[in-house]
Amino acid sequence: MANQTTQLYQQHNIEEYFIEKEPFYLEVADEIDIFEAAYHQRVPVLLKGPTGSGKTRFVEYMSWRLNQARKRDGRADQMSPLVTVACHEDLTASDLVGRYLLEPEGTRWIDGPLTRAVKHGGICYLDEVVEARKDTTVLIHPLSDHRRLLHIEKIGEVLESHPNFLLVISYNPGYQSALKDLKHSTRQRFIAIEFDFPPRDLEGPIIQHESGVDITKAQQLALLGEKVRNLIGQGLQEGVSTRLLIYAGKLIEHGIAPRRACEVAIVWGLTDDHETQASVMEIVTSIFP
Amino acid sequence: MTTEHDSVIEELKKHPSAVIAAYEAVRDEVTEALGPVPALRWAQQGVRIAAQGPRAWEAATEYFKASPQVVQTIGFTQFERWAESGMELTAEAPVIAASFFRASPRVLPTLAPRHISGWASLGRGLSRGTWKSSSLAARFFDVSDDLVQQVNFHELQLFVSLVQTLASRSYDLAAEALVLGQRVLPAVSEREELISLAKVLAETSWREVRGSFEAATRVGNSVDRRLRPRYFALSERLARQGLGNVSAFMVESAHSLGQLPQELQTMVLERAEDLADSSAEAVSAFLRTAPSVLDRISPAQLDTWFGRGLEFLHDNPDAGIAYFRLESARAEALLDQLSSSIELEKVHGLLRMYANALAGSEVELQEANDITHRNIGWVSVEFATTDGKSVFLPPNVDLHESKSENFAWLKVVTTHQVGHLEFKSFDFDFHAPSAGFNDYREGVAEGLGATPGTTEVASFFDLFPVRAMAADLFSTTESARIDHRITSQYRGLAPSYRRVQSDALAARGPVEMLPAQQALMETLVRLSLGQTTDVHVPSRYTEQAMQLAGLLRSVRNHEATSEDSAEAALRMYYTLSQVPNEFIPLDDWEVLDLTNAEFEDPTLEEIVARLRAEAEESEEETPGDEYESPDDVDYRGDFKPEMVQLLAQMRGQAEPGDDDGSESAQGISQAELEQALRDSTEIDFADDAEVTTVAANMMKEMGADAPQNPAGSGYNQIPHVDEEGGPLEALEPRSYAYDEWDFRANDYRPRWCIVQERIAVSGETAFYNETMHAYAGLIEQIKRQFESVRPEMYRKVKRLPEGEDVDLDAGIEALIDLRNNMTPDERIYWRRNKDERDVAVVFLLDMSASTAEAVEESSRDSDWNAPGDPVAYTAWLRARRGETARRPYKRIIDVEKESMVLLMNALETIGDRYGVYGFSGFGRENVEFYVIKEVEELFSDRVKRRMDKVAPLHATRMGPAIRHATTKLANVDAKTKFMFVISDGRPQDRGYSREGVEKEYAVQDTRMALMEARNLDITPFCLTVDRNGHDYLRTMTGDLNYEVLPDIMELPRRLPQLYKKVTL
Repeated sequence: MANQTTQLYQQHNIEEYFIEKEPFYLEVADEIDIFEAAYHQRVPVLLKGPTGSGKTRFVEYMSWRLNQARKRDGRADQMSPLVTVACHEDLTASDLVGRYLLEPEGTRWIDGPLTRAVKHGGICYLDEVVEARKDTTVLIHPLSDHRRLLHIEKIGEVLESHPNFLLVISYNPGYQSALKDLKHSTRQRFIAIEFDFPPRDLEGPIIQHESGVDITKAQQLALLGEKVRNLIGQGLQEGVSTRLLIYAGKLIEHGIAPRRACEVAIVWGLTDDHETQASVMEIVTSIFP
Repeated sequence: MTTEHDSVIEELKKHPSAVIAAYEAVRDEVTEALGPVPALRWAQQGVRIAAQGPRAWEAATEYFKASPQVVQTIGFTQFERWAESGMELTAEAPVIAASFFRASPRVLPTLAPRHISGWASLGRGLSRGTWKSSSLAARFFDVSDDLVQQVNFHELQLFVSLVQTLASRSYDLAAEALVLGQRVLPAVSEREELISLAKVLAETSWREVRGSFEAATRVGNSVDRRLRPRYFALSERLARQGLGNVSAFMVESAHSLGQLPQELQTMVLERAEDLADSSAEAVSAFLRTAPSVLDRISPAQLDTWFGRGLEFLHDNPDAGIAYFRLESARAEALLDQLSSSIELEKVHGLLRMYANALAGSEVELQEANDITHRNIGWVSVEFATTDGKSVFLPPNVDLHESKSENFAWLKVVTTHQVGHLEFKSFDFDFHAPSAGFNDYREGVAEGLGATPGTTEVASFFDLFPVRAMAADLFSTTESARIDHRITSQYRGLAPSYRRVQSDALAARGPVEMLPAQQALMETLVRLSLGQTTDVHVPSRYTEQAMQLAGLLRSVRNHEATSEDSAEAALRMYYTLSQVPNEFIPLDDWEVLDLTNAEFEDPTLEEIVARLRAEAEESEEETPGDEYESPDDVDYRGDFKPEMVQLLAQMRGQAEPGDDDGSESAQGISQAELEQALRDSTEIDFADDAEVTTVAANMMKEMGADAPQNPAGSGYNQIPHVDEEGGPLEALEPRSYAYDEWDFRANDYRPRWCIVQERIAVSGETAFYNETMHAYAGLIEQIKRQFESVRPEMYRKVKRLPEGEDVDLDAGIEALIDLRNNMTPDERIYWRRNKDERDVAVVFLLDMSASTAEAVEESSRDSDWNAPGDPVAYTAWLRARRGETARRPYKRIIDVEKESMVLLMNALETIGDRYGVYGFSGFGRENVEFYVIKEVEELFSDRVKRRMDKVAPLHATRMGPAIRHATTKLANVDAKTKFMFVISDGRPQDRGYSREGVEKEYAVQDTRMALMEARNLDITPFCLTVDRNGHDYLRTMTGDLNYEVLPDIMELPRRLPQLYKKVTL
């Protein structure tokens, strides 16, 4: 009986999750080569750029690409999982390393995501790393230099990284206050790849591919993106992300009128200030009939 | 007969000889006129008059003197009645009768005989038997002649009864009123109404009577004749209802009615009458603002607007009055909603962002008159334009019926101007290649041996003998290119854009009325506006028209640049300059379809040859009229590429380091600039002096871009601005407009106050350092208190469901529970809570004049703050003596400053961000806001110096200062924000009240400002050293924090304590 329920979701252990389908990624410059080189030399990578500019997608793509190469070379047993941790203000070192859990007969240690990635040779991607508490730097530093070690104080162990392990962190230099800047001692352990929103003629095809709208509409959305991004610092903190443009495209593809789709996907999402909303809406009505 | 005559003489002899003399002088004349018998009766009547009393002979004298003329005017029967009236008056008082007789020769010709006795009794009615009353009555007769000439008897009666009323209060006033009536009444047509009004006013105030008489003449000049009776009736009604200042009301309302045409006057007056039952003040307000309201909305919409106001008035009279005064945000909002016109001011922020987004660079948006005021070559107020950095738009758009259409127009205009920036009209480079043409420009320049001009655009225009025509061709072509780029890129805007274009087309005059060259230019303009079919062209120039159309078509694509426009214009010029500018008979025109026109490219040699030939032709040889530019296209505004490049070049010059070394960026002298301006066809100069002025203005503008800092000139310059009027605009740099709360109306008065922000004047650092010395002991104490705060910043939080590690106590408890088979508490972790202190605070110091008050000596004498430590004590004592030597007494402001210094010092230890500002001001137009230290500014000697010069200034208008500080604080990114207002008393300022009486107003506005701050998550705290402060402070701060210091000298110690208490 129970076996007949169809399972609509897939469950993986963190270290057993591999990306199977090729993520769509359009190279803007030479970032793919750089990343591959860095990976082969096990040089940690820092991705900088505003939200929705494709940092996460890039890491996914690279993870997939590296694993494809292993498959081709017949090293399928050496596949490297992708472990993504979205950092937040209350993320502490124990959240990354692991902690004791209470059980009826005592306590049990469980590994955190970083420990698992180190053990299984995954790419550990710490998204928005500056958001995390400062104590995480204690972990990041020995992992990101020649030592490649993870200290687990609580159980008194030191872990040597699996050869395939690589630390990738990202941060958004745009909206952090001076308090939340990345420390220089941390910065200088990574090579940095800068991300920005793709230029209009590249963003159009991306929107077209991701949302399925026709190329005219996709280009109009890209134009809208370009124009709205001109407002950064003059009413907007952040420009509209490619992600939001794609969402708008998806709504349009599903039959929502373009102006309305832009309103809900872009204008309202972007800001709460009424005047800025009205201005962005005027750009929308100028572009879309 | 003789005996009788002698007896008359006898009788008269009893009186002074003047009587007989008067009698003798006229006797013959009168006898002749009347005949002997009546003449005797006449003489006897004189005798009787003279016999009336001690001074009656004077009356008799006048009687005789007046008689000959009176006899000429009226018949004997009436004459006798007249004499009888005089007789009665003599009985009342001879002086009255004398005046009566004296006035009669002038009055009687215009007075109906039947009113003679009535007239006399009017005068008698004024007499009360006293000396003053008699002279008033006499005065009445003196002024009667002017009155009866214009005023009918009924009106005269009314007027006299008014005078009587006044006389019951004061005879002097009554006499004045007579003179006034003599002057005013003849000039006014609605005398009855005016007198009736004046009578009501007379009950309360003579000043008003006089005022209303004076105002009445103005009413006559401005209010429609048919409406005047109603107008006076309305005024009377208001006066009865107790409107205070009726004469002012009349002056103002007559003035504003005068601005309206008759039918609107009727309408407005009717509405005003509707209001009269509810509130006299509202009527006055409504009449005053009606013209400006009708400027913005149609008469039909006025009903809606008025109706809403009436509702407010019924709910809350104060709100209604403020509404009709337009001193209410709601009134403005509704007006705005109803009005179809678009005011740039209202959509300024929105369009600015829109323009910035499109242009991709920072574009300022300003009203068109901003650039004309600068007098740097732009003159038209209605036209949109750009100087390459800013876009200038008409301040008001009211071309269409609906708001949305007007906005669409403005948006099109904005997009077109921004389009010049987005699609780089002004980046034109003479040497840069075009996208779609064989480039001839350099070749032509070489062929003609032309030298480079001041700007790239000038270099191009310099190639042509008729510069104006070249400029017109280029700007039309370039505009067409911009229009094309906009409509193809902004598909959503395209429909509005086309509508504006077709409106512009429809507004153009017939092309057949122009000489051929201009007709073809006009055709080009029309083509550029999208007309391609049905084009009227002279039959003999169809090929030329095709050529122009083809060239224009070639710039309408995505690749074309401003260089393409120039290449096209060059070829167009070649074609057009060969057409004689002559009129073409109406029969010689034909209609063409130029939709798919193509052009034939002339060779470089042909063009050079043509230009050279044209340059050599003298004026006389050229057939036809001189070339004139086509009519402007209003949505395209003023396109001045040459001027923009010139300005840009001068700007580059003003910023050294930005110099790219190109030949033209090497600097322009005034002489060169003047030459460039003279060459340019973009400006029409009346004379050479104007060129110099404009050039000088341009130089000035580009040289000194930064606004002058007015603070250096000292504190005591108060510009006086009139208190009257409505909302204000913040025009100067660093001035800000804020609303003010009117608690009676329960609404904001929009943009009521102007806050002028200035950097405080700098003094010496000595004050700061001395204070530090003087309070050395206290400072140590405060420092210790504040430092003890630091460790509190990191707290270990226990019993959490998640955390860094297991909380031992909680863990053991949980395990015990588990062993006992009980459900354990899951919260067994602890975590260090990063409790970072993130505080921003502003201090507002009261710099009002009252802070100059000396602090009481008694409190100074006590050793209230003497430090216990002996060393510190000696230092303190020494410092105290030093101060006493400097200024014999200490002022409240000094204590304020000292306390602030101590606190600043403490804040530097704790690391909170803080700003210190002082405020004062004079009137709502001039709320002074002095920056001593900005929140983000670092503490430095500069701040110390500014602290020194904090001094008592003018009044205390707290509301706007608090609002401005709130704005500043709201822009600071901090978790916790505080605002400390330190003052010495109640907020007060000129006009910081309603009708100048309600002190409540200021307190309520301040309270509202504090509430606004709180709504923005700023915790306000009021600290006052006014001992009477308690009462109003309670209202002012509501349930907010406040403290009253009974002793000012407590402040230096108390302020840091309070700060700690409030913020920690």
